[in-house]
Amino acid sequence: MNSITLLPRRIFAFVARDFRLFVSYRMQFFLRIISILAVVTTLFFISKIFAGFTDPQFSQWRDPLATWLTGLAVLNYFMTGFSSLANSIRQEQMQGTLESVLLTPINLPTVIVASSAWDFLETTFFSFLYLFFGRVFFGVHYKGSFLLALVFLLLTTVVLACLGILSASFAMVFKRGDPFGIFLGAGSALFSGVFFPTQLLKTYAGPKLGNISLVLPTTHGLDGIRQVLIEGHGFDQVTQPLIVLLGFLVVLLPFSLWVFGRAVRRAKREGSLIQY
Amino acid sequence: MSAISVRNLSKTYPVPFRRLRAFFRRPVKDPVEALREVSFEVETGEIFGLIGRNGAGKTTLTKIVATLVQPTTGSVAVRGHDSVTDDENVRREIGLATAEERSFYWRLTSEQNLLFFARLHGLSDRVAKQRIQELFTQLELDEVARRRFGELSTGNKQRLAVARAMLASPPVLLLDEPTRSLDPLAAARMREMIRLLAQQDPPVTIFLTSHNLSEVETLCGRVAVISRGRIRAIDTPKNLRDLSSGSETVNITIAGGEKISFTRQQGDTRLDEKIRELQTQGATIVDIETERATLLDVLERYEAADEHG
Repeated sequence: MNSITLLPRRIFAFVARDFRLFVSYRMQFFLRIISILAVVTTLFFISKIFAGFTDPQFSQWRDPLATWLTGLAVLNYFMTGFSSLANSIRQEQMQGTLESVLLTPINLPTVIVASSAWDFLETTFFSFLYLFFGRVFFGVHYKGSFLLALVFLLLTTVVLACLGILSASFAMVFKRGDPFGIFLGAGSALFSGVFFPTQLLKTYAGPKLGNISLVLPTTHGLDGIRQVLIEGHGFDQVTQPLIVLLGFLVVLLPFSLWVFGRAVRRAKREGSLIQY
Repeated sequence: MSAISVRNLSKTYPVPFRRLRAFFRRPVKDPVEALREVSFEVETGEIFGLIGRNGAGKTTLTKIVATLVQPTTGSVAVRGHDSVTDDENVRREIGLATAEERSFYWRLTSEQNLLFFARLHGLSDRVAKQRIQELFTQLELDEVARRRFGELSTGNKQRLAVARAMLASPPVLLLDEPTRSLDPLAAARMREMIRLLAQQDPPVTIFLTSHNLSEVETLCGRVAVISRGRIRAIDTPKNLRDLSSGSETVNITIAGGEKISFTRQQGDTRLDEKIRELQTQGATIVDIETERATLLDVLERYEAADEHG
């Protein structure tokens, strides 16, 4: 059997392994559910401060709770796309298991996809909880095509996974101090419009700082998803963020795979695969 | 076709970001030369030993064969597959068992650990579970199958590492001190298993590194002595001992407790002459012992030669 036909089996191997490790820490699972419920409840009460506030300029923010919840759920997902691979590589390095994994006849793209698979499943569940708690307990309504929103979600996640691959390459060579993580982690929350409209950045911080949001894929991903779920826009109205995200993908995917291959070769040359 | 072919292999570990460090006037270490011009062939079904002191280059050589480290120059081929350009196929042909305890998932059971690696090797769950059961029986791990790896004794961890190396029934096994933490009985069984693997049809080629020189001597058809990154000698254990020193010390104990010792060249007639001489004198011989050069003497000889340049 070749690598492609074996891919599902290998992804399943990682998912099954990570599930076993996950259930060995049950308490953490329940605490996380409770913390999400607490965040959603807090946001519900904060949103009441803005009840009745409408500014035609900020059409996505008429129901701040819905906007925050989509923002948090989606950002959670995006960040998994970004950080999952670097984290899993780093964790395998720290545990000392990376060499054992790379000793099996498994190629690099498979390691990339398979080692992140469980994180995505877990994040899908927890991201869904934000929307679910909002809908069930606080009456948040979403409109538009969930399928189109899913396209945005997947596309943005893959773009961020490319940045994640760059981040993993950095972790492989430098072992720590990943600049991509700092830039994207802090930058996305501040500049992508998770908690407030990006237009406000331009108004209060000037066009230079405000334009930072445009170079972040998360801004375009979030914007697309909110246009679909909150404003009810169809495919024709969301082509702009879609094209921007595709542009990111075309550039970043081959580049990140190339960099990751070089990082692994470098670690093999230096004999530092197992070091952390 | 050789099972393992190593040609003009050299490895120098580069110093990461050497130029950058030099630019910022930070202290820069010299690159470490781990292997220099290493060449040898291991034939199919052979048990080939590699001995040397700590830091001699054994681990680097094993990791290069296992595709985990890339050579600086030279090449390694496993059953015709190059370790750099065809690394995925090399990994299909080999199993590596090291004494590194951290290479397993400590919160998973022995069975779950092996199942994970079996799936990565592409085995279906049915075949994997059957193979794992076979290996547990063969390596006497049945009792710890459902115990977490972190709870296993050092010896069982060692055996599980060997079981993992054998999961996909690879034709080439790289064993790094396979009996290091085993009790004497388990170590003897492990040695017997290694011997049988090399004799089975099709045979498994064994590349063994060990500090247990008597084990190497017992098991290996040929042994390579590595010192400071260079292969100093490759031969059968007997020839290596003979090369080191063709002489042996004979200790004869005669009735009454008197001991007579003398040195002779192996194969000469001095022992026969001495026995006849003692019998002529009316002495009763109660014991004869010979002390021959061991692989330790061989190692010491090359180490001393290297120390003196």
